[in-house]
Amino acid sequence: MNPFELAEPRSLKAALKLLDAGDESVRVFGGGTALMLMMKAGVFQPTRLISLRGVESRYARVTAAKDGSLHIGALTTLTTLGRAAAVRSKAPVIAGTLQTLSNVRVRNVATLGGHLAHADPHMDLPPVLIALDAQVVTAATAGLRTLAVADLFTGYYETALARNELISEVIVPAQTGRRSAYVKLTTRAADDWPTLGIAVSLQTDGRVIEDARFVVGAATEKPLRLPSVEAVLRGATADDAVLARAGEAAAAAAELVGDARGSAAYKTELLRVYAGRAVRKALAA
Amino acid sequence: MNVTKMSMSTTHKNISFQLNGRPATAHAGNHQNLVELLQGQGLFGARESCGQGLCGCCTVVVNGTAVSGCLTMATLVDGADVRTIEDSADGQLDAVQRAFIDTGAFQCGFCTPGFILMTRQLLEEHPDPTDDEIRHYLAGNLCRCAAYTEIIKAVRLAAQKRKE
Amino acid sequence: MATTSGNSKSGAAEFSALGRSIPRVEARAKVTGRAEYVHNLRLPGMLYGRIHRSTVAHARIRSVDVSAAQAVPGVYAVYTAADVQRLIPEPYYGPAFHDQPILALGKVHHVGEPVALVLAADPHVADAAAQLIVADYEELPAVFDEVEAMTSAAVVHEVLKPAGTFPDLKHLKGKRDTNIALDFHLRRGDVQKAFAEADHVFEHTFRTQQVLHLPLEPFVTVADPTPSQLVIHTASQSPSFVRIEIARLLGWPENRVRVKVPYLGGGFGAKLYIKLEALAAAAALLAGRPVKIALTMEEQFYTLTKHATTLRIKSGVTKDGKITVRECEVWWNGGAYADIGPRITQKSGFTAPGPYDIDHVSIDSYSLYTNLPPAGALRGFGIPQLVWAYESHTDMIAKALHMDPLAIRRINILREGRPQATGTLMRDAGIDPVLERLAQRMAWEKPFDKGSGTIRRGRGIAIGFKASISPTTSVAIVNISADGSCNVYCSTVDMGQGSDTAMAQIVAEALGIPVASVTLVHPDTDVTPYDMATLGSRSTYHMGHAVKNAAEDARDKLLQLARDVGLSAETTPIPDIFRKKYGMQAGNIVGVGSFIPPYTPPESGTGQTPDATPFWMIGATGAEVEVDTETGEFKVTRLVNLVDVGRPVNPAIVETQISGATIMQLGFTLSERMDFDAGQVTNASLADYKIPGMRDIPAMMENEAVDMVQHSGPFGAKGVGESGTFGVSPAIASAIDDAVGVRLTSLPLTAEAVYRGLRAQAGKPLQD
Repeated sequence: MNPFELAEPRSLKAALKLLDAGDESVRVFGGGTALMLMMKAGVFQPTRLISLRGVESRYARVTAAKDGSLHIGALTTLTTLGRAAAVRSKAPVIAGTLQTLSNVRVRNVATLGGHLAHADPHMDLPPVLIALDAQVVTAATAGLRTLAVADLFTGYYETALARNELISEVIVPAQTGRRSAYVKLTTRAADDWPTLGIAVSLQTDGRVIEDARFVVGAATEKPLRLPSVEAVLRGATADDAVLARAGEAAAAAAELVGDARGSAAYKTELLRVYAGRAVRKALAA
Repeated sequence: MNVTKMSMSTTHKNISFQLNGRPATAHAGNHQNLVELLQGQGLFGARESCGQGLCGCCTVVVNGTAVSGCLTMATLVDGADVRTIEDSADGQLDAVQRAFIDTGAFQCGFCTPGFILMTRQLLEEHPDPTDDEIRHYLAGNLCRCAAYTEIIKAVRLAAQKRKE
Repeated sequence: MATTSGNSKSGAAEFSALGRSIPRVEARAKVTGRAEYVHNLRLPGMLYGRIHRSTVAHARIRSVDVSAAQAVPGVYAVYTAADVQRLIPEPYYGPAFHDQPILALGKVHHVGEPVALVLAADPHVADAAAQLIVADYEELPAVFDEVEAMTSAAVVHEVLKPAGTFPDLKHLKGKRDTNIALDFHLRRGDVQKAFAEADHVFEHTFRTQQVLHLPLEPFVTVADPTPSQLVIHTASQSPSFVRIEIARLLGWPENRVRVKVPYLGGGFGAKLYIKLEALAAAAALLAGRPVKIALTMEEQFYTLTKHATTLRIKSGVTKDGKITVRECEVWWNGGAYADIGPRITQKSGFTAPGPYDIDHVSIDSYSLYTNLPPAGALRGFGIPQLVWAYESHTDMIAKALHMDPLAIRRINILREGRPQATGTLMRDAGIDPVLERLAQRMAWEKPFDKGSGTIRRGRGIAIGFKASISPTTSVAIVNISADGSCNVYCSTVDMGQGSDTAMAQIVAEALGIPVASVTLVHPDTDVTPYDMATLGSRSTYHMGHAVKNAAEDARDKLLQLARDVGLSAETTPIPDIFRKKYGMQAGNIVGVGSFIPPYTPPESGTGQTPDATPFWMIGATGAEVEVDTETGEFKVTRLVNLVDVGRPVNPAIVETQISGATIMQLGFTLSERMDFDAGQVTNASLADYKIPGMRDIPAMMENEAVDMVQHSGPFGAKGVGESGTFGVSPAIASAIDDAVGVRLTSLPLTAEAVYRGLRAQAGKPLQD
C-alpha cells in the first residue's frame, strides 16, 4: 500500500468541506473495513482519505422517536446497531440480520453509513432496510436531502450519492403491525457472502396479509423489490397455494446472476422455494 | 506512484497510545496497519494471515473492543487503549488460557491468540454462553488445524471456571 | 458433541509416560502468543522481498522490464532469472525432477509463477515496485485438464530432468515432449480372464477438484548471508532436504548452509522440499543482506495445491458380491512442476483398489504436468482422492446388487496376513476392527430414521488405508546432562501435530524420567541430525524409533558409566553417577539413534514387492445427513471417525489429529474448490475460498482410535496425522445417496449438484 494523507475532521461540516475541496480520489470512511480491503487489493490507491470517526457523536447513535421511528446515525457501528434496545424492540429483523453479517470484529467497527454507501450488492442490510421502507438522510455543503434506501442504489457498487455528499442518518419508520424477516442463504460454508438474500415485510390483519414488501438481494446487481410477488401476497392468506404462487412470481420476475456460489438457474430455484419460506418466517416473527 | 508527491509529514504521524497498560509511542504511516505497528513494538502475537479480517489471527482489543488488526489503520489508535495477547503474559494465565491448555484447544497455535482474545470478549458479553452463541461469536475466527470441537469445550470450561 | 478416545486395554498401565494425555510441551508459549515462528523474525539490515508473478499460464518470456521498479525510491534491488544465474548457473530444483527454476527462466509455466523479485527495507515499497515490473510474453497453447494432458499437443516441459535425490524415485527417467512425469503400473493375476468370468462388471469415473493446504501462517523464509555460512530460517517441514538442495544449487558443502526451523503455523504437506528457500537464499547472497520473503494468503494459491484427479474404476463381482477383479486408472493433475507428485502417483497409486482382497488387479497411475499451479502432498498424499473413488464405487456396486454397504465390505476387506495388491502382506492393519467398531458406533444394523416430507435422512460408511513412506532415514541424539535432565536433538518439525510432545514422551519412557525433564531442540541443521522430512504420518514411527534408539543408547552408556565408577546402575540417581565420575555437576552422556525401515522397491511393470511399507494406516468414517428435497441443501449431522493408530502415544493429541484431519477433509468435500479462468485462480482469498469455520462442524463429531498395537512401532505406536481424512468424502456422498437416491461422482458435493440430481431423477433436468 502506498502512503496517503489522512484527515480526521471533528465535525460533519468540516468533513463535507474537505470533500468539496478535494480531488476525485479523496474518499471518506467510517469503519474503513471495506476500504482497507480495496486498498490492500490495489483496487483503490488513494492520495487522501477522510476519517469520519471523529465527527460529532450524535452521528453514531440510535434514537427512537415518539412516532415509533428509529433514527440511526450513519456512523453507528453494526455492533451498536444490533445491541440497541430500540432496534431490538422496534425492528428486530435488523438485529437478527446482523448476527450472521460478517463477523464480530468487522461489526465492531463497520458503520451503517459505510455499509450502505459501499453499495456492494451482497450486503445484507440494504434489502432489509428497503423492506422496512427506510430512508437515508444525506448531507452536503449545499444542505440535506432525504431519499428512500430503495432509491439510494443505482447499480452494481453505484449509488445516487454525489461525490461531495454523505449519508448522515438512516430513518426506519414505525413498524406498527408489521412482521418482517430476512433469509440469508449461503451455499458453501455457513459463514459466507449470501448466495441469495430475501427480505420480507408484511402488514397483517389476523391471517390476512394486507400489504407486503418483498426484496431480493445478493444475486442481483442491486437489491430489487418484486412488485409481482407483493401483488400475489396482498390481500391473501398465506396458505401453501398462495406461497407457491409467490414463489413462481419471484422466480419469474427476478433476473438473478450466477457465480461460484450457484448458477443463475439454481439461484432462481432457491428463490422459488425460499420466497414462501421467507414469508412464513416473517409471519412467525 | 504517489510516494514522491507527498512528504512524510502528511502521510505519517507521531502517535501515542496505551499498549498493554503502558504508554507507547510510534512514528506510523497512515498506510500501515495495526499489526505492523505492533510488530514495530516487538509484539508478534497478532498475526496477519488472511489479510481480510476473516480469520481472526490479527485480533487486537482497542478501547475494549475487538478489531482485526489487519484492517485497522495504525494511526487511528492514536490516544487509544490497545491490548494484545501479550497483555496477560506476565506470568499468570487467565481462565481462558488455562482452559485452552486443559482441553487441548489448539495445534499449530497460529490462530490461538485470536481465539483467546475473542473468547474473553464472548464471556464478557455472554458469561454463560449457549453452543449457538459460541459458534456465532467465534465464527469469524478460523483454525486450519480445526481444533473447533476442543475450542468449544475450552470456552465452556473457561465460563465455568470464571464463575468459581 | 460426544468425543471418545480409545479405551486401550493394552494401554497405559505398563508405561509411565506413554499413553498419557499430557498437555503439549509448548502449550504455554502458544496461549501467550510467545511461540516462535519465522513470521516473527526480524534481523538487522533485513530487506523484504516481493515477488512479481506471471499473469499468463504458458508463454515464452520475451523480456522483463524492471526499470520502473528499480527507479522507485527505497528499492534496494530487483532480480530476474539472469541475476540468479550469475550465482547459480543451473537454478532448477525439485524433489523428483529438477524442473522448477528459482525465477522463471525462458518460459513461464503457470499463472503466478515468480518472474522477478524486488528487495526493499520497507515492504510497502517492495510491494508497490513489484507491481511496476512489465513482462512481455509470447503466449503458448496451455493445457489444464489432467486427462487432456496425456495426449495434448501443448507440452509443459520440453525436457524432463530427474533429480535422483530419493532412493524410491531412482527409476524416474529423463524424457522429451511428454506431459507424463511418471507412469506407474501394477499387474496382479489375470485381469482379462477374471472380467470374462465375472457375474457383473461395473465401471465408474470420479473426479476430485484442486484445493490447497492454506496454513494460516503463509509460506515464509528468511535467508541471512553471514560471513561463514548462509543461514536460512524457514517455515519448512523438511530442513534436512532444504540444506542439501540449497548446498547442491550453490555447489557448496552441506555445512556451509544452516537451516533453522522453529514452530510452524500449520503445514499439511505444503511446506515441504523447496518453496521460498532457494529464492530467499539467492536474493540474500546477491544483495549481501538478510532477506525475508513472506507470502500473502493470495500468493499461497499459486505456490502449492492438492492434485485434482480423474479416476476410473472397473470391477468384476460375483453375484454374491465378492469382488474378483479390479482395474484402476488414475490421472493426477500435477500442475506446472512435479514437486512430489511422482511419489504420490506411485506410493498412493498402488493402494487404488482399496482395502479389499482382490485376486486380479490392474493399476495405471499417471502423474501429469499441466499449466496450473504445482500440486504436491496434502494430508493423505493422494489417498483421500483414491478412497473417494473406490468407496463410492463400492457403494454403487452394493446398491446395484441390493446389498448392504457393510455386508459387501465384510465380504471383501483385506484381513490380517492376506496379500495387498503389491503382494505385501497385511500386518497389524486394523481394517476389520475399524470397520466393525464403526458399524457398532453407527448402530448400523439397527433401524434408521430416514425422515419424511421434504427432509430426508441418510447414512454412509467408508474405509481407506495408506502405506507409509520408505525407505527413509531418521537420526536423533539424546543428550543427558549431569542433573539428569535431557535434550533431544531431532529434525522433526512440530507444525501442530504435537511431535515435540510425542518425542518427549517416548524419550521419558525409554529413560524412565519425567516428561518435564525432556526438552526438544528444534530443527537446526548445524545441531540436529538428518531427518528425511516431517510428512506422511511418519514422525511417530520413524523418528519415534530414532529417538527411542538414541535414548536407549544414552541409557546404556549411562549404565556403563555407573558400572565404571562402581555404582549400582539400577538404583543410583542419575546426578549421583555424574558427580561420582566428574567430582561435580559436569559432563554429558550423548546417545545416538537412527532408523531406516526395510523396503523392497516394486518390480517394474508389475508393481510387486514383499515390502511396500513399514506399516499401514487405517481410517474410516460414518456420516449421517439431512437433505432438503426442495432445494438439494444438505446438512452433515453426524460424523463418526475410527482409526487404527497402533497404541496412541498421547490419546488427547491423537484425538485432535483425527478430528482436525476429518474437518479439513470436510472442507475438501463440501466447500473448497479453486476456481480457474485460463489458469488464473479466480477465488484466491478466504472470502471466496471457503474453509470450514466454527458453524460448519457437524453437531455430532465422534473420534476413536481402536485398540491396536503396531508391533514394529516404537512402544506399539504408528502415525495418525492423515488417517482421519480417508473416509469423509465417500461416506457423505453415500449418505446423500441413501437419503434421496442421488449419487454424486465429483467433488465438492454441493447443494446445487444434489438439486440437479433430484431434478434429473424426476425426469425434469434443470435448464440453464
